[in-house]
Order: sequence, then C-alpha cells, then structure tokens
Amino acid sequence: MRFKAFVFQLGVIVCLSVVIGVSANLSLVKQYLNGDFNQSFLSPKDFPSIQFIGLAEAEDLFMRGDVLFLDSRAEVKFLEGHILDAINIPFEGGERTVHGQLSFPRDGTLVVYCDGNECQSSIFLAKALAEQGFEDIRVFFGGWNEWITAGLPSSKKNDLS
Amino acid sequence: MICHKTVLWVFRLVVGGVFIWAGLLKILGPLEFAQDIANYRVFSRDISFVIAIVLPWIEILCGVLVILGIFRTTSSLVLSGLLVAFLVLITATILRRIDVECGCFGSLGRRVDFLLLLTDSILLYLTLNIFVSSLKQNHESASP
Repeated sequence: MRFKAFVFQLGVIVCLSVVIGVSANLSLVKQYLNGDFNQSFLSPKDFPSIQFIGLAEAEDLFMRGDVLFLDSRAEVKFLEGHILDAINIPFEGGERTVHGQLSFPRDGTLVVYCDGNECQSSIFLAKALAEQGFEDIRVFFGGWNEWITAGLPSSKKNDLS
Repeated sequence: MICHKTVLWVFRLVVGGVFIWAGLLKILGPLEFAQDIANYRVFSRDISFVIAIVLPWIEILCGVLVILGIFRTTSSLVLSGLLVAFLVLITATILRRIDVECGCFGSLGRRVDFLLLLTDSILLYLTLNIFVSSLKQNHESASP
C-alpha cells in the first residue's frame, strides 16, 4: 500500500470520527466550551445536588456546625489526619457505591473531600451520595492538603462514634 | 505470524468485535469516559475531553473496517497503535501505583492491573497478524 493511500485512509477515518463524535455530543461540547466541566466531568444537569466549593466556603460551612464532613480517602490516610469531626467513607479503591445508608437527613448539607485537586475519590463519593438521594452535597476540591495548610481544625484520631 | 485465511478471519471478527463493543460502551457515557481518562493524570482536561468524544468513533470505525476488510491495512495499524498506547499507559499507571478504572469498556470498566496488560497484549498480537497479512496481500497484488 502506498504511503499516500495510507495517509488518505487515515485522514478519512480521523475526520469522520471527529465529525461524528462532535455531532453526536454537540450539547456536551457546548457545555464544555461554557466552562461547565472546569473542575470535573460531572454534568450539573445530571447531578444538580452536587456543587464544588473552595476553602473559604468549606470553612464557613464547618463553622455552621450542622454540616457533616466526609473524608473519602483510605482509612490509613484518614487516621493520619483529617478535618475535625469528619467521618471516613473510603472511596479510594475506585468504589462506586456507599455500603449501607448514611445516617444523616437527606436535605442536610454534606461536604466531601479527599487529598486535594489531584484525587477524584471525593467526586465518586459525591455521585454515590447523590444517587442515594442526598440533596445538598458540596465537593471541597482543595481537600485535606489545603485545609491543613491553612491551619484549620483537624484531628489525628479516628473520631467515629 | 499466522497466514491461514480462516484463522485470520476469526482474528478480524474478534478484534473488530471487541473494539466496536468497547466504542459503543464509551459512547453511552462520554463524561464518565472523559473522567476515566483524566484519572490517569497524563492528559489535560481539554485533551481528555477531546479523546472521550473522538476515540470511541475511531474504535468503532476501525472495528467495522477490519471486519469488512475495507482499508484493512490502515485500520489494523490504527488499532495496533491504539493498543500500544493503551499498553504504555497501563504500564505507567501500574508503575505509578495509581489505582484507577481503565475506562476500556465504559461503565463495565475494570481496574488497571496485570490481567488487563495481558488481555491487551493478546489483542495486539491478533491485530498485528491482521496488519502483516494485509501488507503481504497488498504486496502480492501489487507485484507483476
């Protein structure tokens, strides 16, 4: 097969794939260009109960006192240090479901976090909680690293009661 | 390399079928696939999104072409290239000890581990056989 023929055939395959792919996902492409997926690929339309928050809002919610913080890291990391009064629901092994029901009002506010910007377990946990019917889930994207760097209240013990 | 026509035809069915199936599953959940790609921590968010939108269709098109025997050399080479890229990515992920789902089959995805490495290696062997046989066929038909 000649090189020109190969390039032509490759071009046809790639161009067709791009055209079909963009056409089939036009609404997603528009959402992406609007910045809907800047922090994760969770669609706000599919998961309206999930919001992404920064350190300031996470601290405000902590001070409110009626918000439950959930740590999605592995238990070992949780025991080394976590946000004060947070509960550990490990989701680092690629878990997709929360085993058992979380004893907390469905309309209460949950804040989910993991290590920081690089980890994704908080998003997986947030999705699982949304699917369980929780209506107000905030994903604290800066996570444990940002919290401890800011010197905010933390604990090094397992505070599960 | 295997030359037997029937065996190669079975290879084409298997390889084409696997990639068509994988592509279709990814099309059902493009955002999940984009998130799976981002989880590898290799590509930027923009690149992850573009790959998630375009790659499934490359897989499906090449899968169909391989089965039908149209553009066979090019399509089998593209699929071989994809498999090599997957193998490099899987190996790097295992070495970096990143625990992620491979995203290979959408929501039916499996973890990145040595078994996945083996599966993709076998697929690569089949695909390379298809590629080499089609090259030979092109060469023979071009010869006087």
